[in-house]
Amino acid sequence: MTTKHGIGTTHTRSIKNRFARRFLRSLLKMKRSNRLGTGFQSDEEIRKRNTQRIKTAADRSMARVVGPRKIWSRALLFKLRNRARIQVGLRKRCLVSKKKKVLRKEKKVQVISREPNRADNLRKLVPGGDSMDICCLLEETAHYIKCLATQVKVMQSIADLYST
Amino acid sequence: MRPCSREMQGMNSLLNPSSQIPLQDLQNQQIHNSHFDPNLSSNEDFLEQMLSSCSWADPKSPWDLNPPTNLPFPTNNSSSSAKHRDLFNETPSSNSDSNNVGFRNNFDESVILASKLRQHQISCGNGAAVSDAAKMMLPQQLLMAVARGGLSLNDDIDGSLSQGGDGSIQGLFNGFGAGSMNGTDGASNQSMQHFNHPQARLAAVLQGGAMQSPNLGAQGAPATTAVMNQPQASGSNGGAPTQPRQRVRARRGQATDPHSIAERLRRERIAERMKALQELVPNANKTDKASMLDEIIDYVKFLQLQVKVLSMSRLGGAAAVAPLVADMSSEAGGDCIQANDNGGSLARTTNGNQTASTNDNSLTVTEHQVAKMMEEDMGTAMQYLQGKGLCLMPISLATAISTATCHNRTSGIINSHAHLHQSNGEGPTSPSMSVLTVQSMTMGNGGGDGVAKDAASVSKP
Repeated sequence: MTTKHGIGTTHTRSIKNRFARRFLRSLLKMKRSNRLGTGFQSDEEIRKRNTQRIKTAADRSMARVVGPRKIWSRALLFKLRNRARIQVGLRKRCLVSKKKKVLRKEKKVQVISREPNRADNLRKLVPGGDSMDICCLLEETAHYIKCLATQVKVMQSIADLYST
Repeated sequence: MRPCSREMQGMNSLLNPSSQIPLQDLQNQQIHNSHFDPNLSSNEDFLEQMLSSCSWADPKSPWDLNPPTNLPFPTNNSSSSAKHRDLFNETPSSNSDSNNVGFRNNFDESVILASKLRQHQISCGNGAAVSDAAKMMLPQQLLMAVARGGLSLNDDIDGSLSQGGDGSIQGLFNGFGAGSMNGTDGASNQSMQHFNHPQARLAAVLQGGAMQSPNLGAQGAPATTAVMNQPQASGSNGGAPTQPRQRVRARRGQATDPHSIAERLRRERIAERMKALQELVPNANKTDKASMLDEIIDYVKFLQLQVKVLSMSRLGGAAAVAPLVADMSSEAGGDCIQANDNGGSLARTTNGNQTASTNDNSLTVTEHQVAKMMEEDMGTAMQYLQGKGLCLMPISLATAISTATCHNRTSGIINSHAHLHQSNGEGPTSPSMSVLTVQSMTMGNGGGDGVAKDAASVSKP
């Protein structure tokens, strides 16, 4: 057990470092893009959009750090990419967005239907949880919780840095 | 009707070198099935009983006898009996009848079970089933080899095994050798070694057969390894007390063998993962799986909410991101909280305040109001703040307090900014206040309370 714990903590630390670096880089990018063109929106909207952006940046960087090795990270990246594409399509008013919507629908169709289980709520929470059996779901949840906790820690410490 | 003396002699020679207890145990099992006298003292009497109960319909082809009609103990499937007959028909009739018939009772049962196992092996192809079946196959083969070889100790068994026409047993043997998995390798090696020792061979066979024949249906790997280890231990005294236990396991296990194994594996995996999750999630002292699941769900929701809240609190202030990136790459990353100079922090907070980079509506409202009031009159600004329970303090003092009270941080998850900025003007009570606010924050919403604390981060020029 102790060795397992040791391996777990070093693994978490490397995830933490990589996530911190990537997240900060994305924050910098966001700040630059903010400076460029945000004159036409009100403060509230800017704030809301920034909140959303920061959250998606955090999620995306976390998923990238974890890589395609886990089901939830793959599902999360897929979801974010779809959302980004749809938003881009709406802005440009392009026909591409329709294709992406169809893709999304297809993905929904692939959901396996089971009898209502106690773990349904968990499936909703964990990204990509619909297509997992209980065994994989529990494993993915453990990893997801670990990564979420490191994400929170890093973001918290960044917030501390900012506010002091 | 009576067995020939040669067979009796063979039995005796067989029984005497090895311990007689396993045969008595054999008897006991057979007793359950076939109404033998349990209180037999001498083996010869037992032999007489055994042999008298079976019918010698056709001495020429004993293998063609219908096992369900002749034998007193039950056979489960008709298919197994068919296979049983096939097995019998496959074997060459080179063996003498009398030798074989004597052991037919146990042999038949063992062959039935062996055929059932083979059936399972063929039909399921399940890894676990194969391994368990393979484990159980060997003593069966040994028993069959014994019966075939006619009870002689030394070379007949070798001969019987190496017979070219002995297709079924060889096949089983090879299958076992090929299909043995890691867990069985040790057992197979043990049994192979036993096989190579002519003296110990039959003892091993008898003991293995005695222990094994009721135990076939049991999937319990500990049961089978215990059985396999028994041939190693020369004493078979443990055989008698463990047998009733094994028999119970066999009864339950015989019902649906591969399914129950798979079920158990699945349940074990799930239990493993729940244990791992228990370590991650706080307040995980629940033993119930359902409540544990609820805890996990709540914790995931909580973490996701925290991420959302934290993403609200980090707007603006990105002028300092560039030096931060340099910092992050040099340090371990993440935990560099107190490593700021006050000048830099001052610049950051002024930046932050001017861009109205605070999180919640109440926060920004407060800040705006305070900024306006400060432009007009400092006094009213201070009064306003005090009414809110906040106060102004220089950032240097705030950071000093934060470094002093950082040791009092109770939860690593939500760090308290409160102790930096929030106080009632009373210095000594501020740590206690900070502790209280930390507790209240950790109890309830991470969102609203934690946010209000940033309201008073006003800087003095």
